[in-house]
Amino acid sequence: MILGRVVGRLWATRQAAGLTGRKMLLIRPETAAGRETNRLVVAVDGLAAGPGDRVIVAHGSRVRDLTVGADVADKDIVIGIVDGHELKGR
Amino acid sequence: MILGRVIGHVWAARRDARLQRAKLLVVRPHAIYEPAFATRHLVATDDVDAGVGDDVIVCLGAPARASLGDNNMPVDAAVLGVVDRIEWRPDAMQAPGAGPGIKRPLGGIEAVLK
Repeated sequence: MILGRVVGRLWATRQAAGLTGRKMLLIRPETAAGRETNRLVVAVDGLAAGPGDRVIVAHGSRVRDLTVGADVADKDIVIGIVDGHELKGR
Repeated sequence: MILGRVIGHVWAARRDARLQRAKLLVVRPHAIYEPAFATRHLVATDDVDAGVGDDVIVCLGAPARASLGDNNMPVDAAVLGVVDRIEWRPDAMQAPGAGPGIKRPLGGIEAVLK
């Protein structure tokens, strides 16, 4: 899993059947220190995350099967909304 | 499996129901390793009671779930062990292409030995 920040939502009219009705979030992965990277990930929301939330994103088909369902066409899934994190021992 | 150091904890009240009892750690890999993104960190579940500052072995993917004893946990990384001691040869680290996902010779492992 990685930490990231939800920076927006995404909608598409023409999309694969596996994405119909799924809430897609634009997520910028962060470094552990909370700095944003220049990467961008489109993840399907397994909870009720929204723009501004810091989230935990897991990757993989098994994770997808267990959370949002095997019919979803995305392997990046939001599995947690971060309340806080503590960094020490760097 | 990868070698890393625990640098922090994460709290998340709203999370997948199967994760409610999991302890989540932030781990900084000792090598430049890219599971999916160049974020230089991982969030991993912890069953072995690792603490901040510990060097740990982190397993990624399906074996991580198997090691948790529950293949129905929606996680992709788990701390499998706390490192007591590492032996290494500096010259062996210089070889290019040390393995998949490693983009250059391992860095930062000197810090492990201090």
